[in-house]
Amino acid sequence: MEYDENGVSIVSNDFKKEIFEEAKKDFRYEEYVRGCLNCGVCTGGCPPHRFFDFSPRMVLQNCKSNDPALVWGMMDEYVWACFQCFTCAMICPFLNNPGGVIAILREISVRRGFESAKKVLKPYSRVLLKLTAYGNQLSPDMIQPDFFPDWGPHIGYASEDLPLKRKAIPMPTLQVTNLAWDVAPEAMKELYTIFEEAGVFKIIEVVDPSLYEIIQDIVDDVRSE
Amino acid sequence: MAIEIRNRLGLADVKSDFRHIAGRKIENIHNELLELEAKGELKVIHITDEHKPIEAETLFGWKKKIPTTKLWHHKSCGQCGNIPGYPVSLLWFMNKFGTEYVDERNQTSCTAWNYHGSATSNPVGLAAVAVRNWHRSYELGLFPLIHCATSFGDYKEMRNLLVENKELRDEVRRIMHKIGRELVIPEEIVHYSEWVHVMRFEIAKLRKYDLSNIITTVHPACHCYKMIPEDCIYDKDIYAGKRTAVSTGVALALGAQVADYSTWYDCCGFGFRHILTEREASRSFVMDRKIRPMVREANSDVCITQDTGCTTTLDKNQWIGKAMGYTEQVPVMADVMFAALVCGADVYKIVQLQWHTTDWRPLCEKIGIDWKKSEEEYNAYLEKLRAGEKPENLYEYA
Repeated sequence: MEYDENGVSIVSNDFKKEIFEEAKKDFRYEEYVRGCLNCGVCTGGCPPHRFFDFSPRMVLQNCKSNDPALVWGMMDEYVWACFQCFTCAMICPFLNNPGGVIAILREISVRRGFESAKKVLKPYSRVLLKLTAYGNQLSPDMIQPDFFPDWGPHIGYASEDLPLKRKAIPMPTLQVTNLAWDVAPEAMKELYTIFEEAGVFKIIEVVDPSLYEIIQDIVDDVRSE
Repeated sequence: MAIEIRNRLGLADVKSDFRHIAGRKIENIHNELLELEAKGELKVIHITDEHKPIEAETLFGWKKKIPTTKLWHHKSCGQCGNIPGYPVSLLWFMNKFGTEYVDERNQTSCTAWNYHGSATSNPVGLAAVAVRNWHRSYELGLFPLIHCATSFGDYKEMRNLLVENKELRDEVRRIMHKIGRELVIPEEIVHYSEWVHVMRFEIAKLRKYDLSNIITTVHPACHCYKMIPEDCIYDKDIYAGKRTAVSTGVALALGAQVADYSTWYDCCGFGFRHILTEREASRSFVMDRKIRPMVREANSDVCITQDTGCTTTLDKNQWIGKAMGYTEQVPVMADVMFAALVCGADVYKIVQLQWHTTDWRPLCEKIGIDWKKSEEEYNAYLEKLRAGEKPENLYEYA
């Protein structure tokens, strides 16, 4: 993949048009993109705007421009700056939803397996694995000092004698260390069927084939129990 | 049916079925939901007298029924994995009130991390997971109480999408049939903080400590009040009805001071993906936009939250700030944890503050709570468990 001076991948105009059309066909798009006054109140209130080159006003304006090149220009790193807090949606006087547009564009990026999406999602393999294969994503044994040194020395508390401390939590469903709660196998099996039927497994296969294989092994094991 | 809407500025009273904003009418989705039920398109999990509901008012003056008993706890990944005192405090109150509830393993996450964090899902997948979990509470004859704000926001959105889109309903119904379930939608999507809010005066009756010298600052969760904002509780007596009332309401009912600060509306900096892999953004946001204003402007003793990600982000990212000269620190805990703490719940066994990173001991001492005694008892309890004793649980689980 080649990139231009702005770090945006270089593709044909037809491909840019195809991607924009895919976004517009999403049944949420019309609900999210309405008239835009260009007032900028969304960007003024946008949390990541304070730290990133990211503006929900530009997201809306690029969509309203009907120029596929401008929308394509957001598909690589730009869309991943959004915090998904939906401050923009709440304060927009025209009820636009730039955060929702971002979700649509990210989904296309992941579904299509764009390199930028693969790069952004690589560090989430463990979260994706937990959530997709076991039904919840933040397990107590993930809170390790090596992973979170910037959370301070006390973070070590969570990794010492963890099984005993979890046993002391007075909710039986929480007395495990490798999952946030001990998900029942029947719930996991139903989740797998949902993911198969909704195409979620396919999305993960496109964006991370190695992870997909690991997940499928776990799925097979749980189903055979 | 005409619903009276009180103008929040007190300028006028109007009667309307809906609000017009920029030419779009914001309809109360519940009317459409009931119409679909009448047509046999779906089933509704109704809030009945059995649930002993208490009514609250939402953004546009619509009424929202909050069930107070016969509840199915829908868990939060981050609370269960990282902030265990969060759900424990909630269940501790429910035991005090004799609330009927089920906390069980037969549920999955809302999977909305795959929506907002990684985009590795889609509306069909998210809506199907939502309906699957709703249906589990339905078959038990209980009403789902959503613990996580991300789940709450996602489920409100999925309910709306399901009501508004026949194609989505058909697809989700097809998937539900494959797993032996039906298309059901709760009459209301209810967050635990809304239960706390409507129960706040009952909760306040259990108060053990005087909080008149405690200054709280509230951080509201974006996915509670910014996603589907018309479905969020407001109260004319709290911030004059101009900001969401939950969490602030219980702090006031308990007699604490609630101080304003200039960045109240800002998010916490969680960002879903940023908290894990762009942490400099999250921690800068925490210190610059939340903690420093709370301390400098409000002299806050405690930051009160209403969600999982916010509690984690605001608590965990204060220590590293010292490296950049940020000396401001304030303990962080959810509304229900703060309430439990001041109603006499054990600091270690119930509120479980020992998992928190930012020092909460000065707050306990200011309130008058003997945390050292609690620590000693907890350590002795751990030794008993180590020796093979059975844990003391809030409920029996088969």
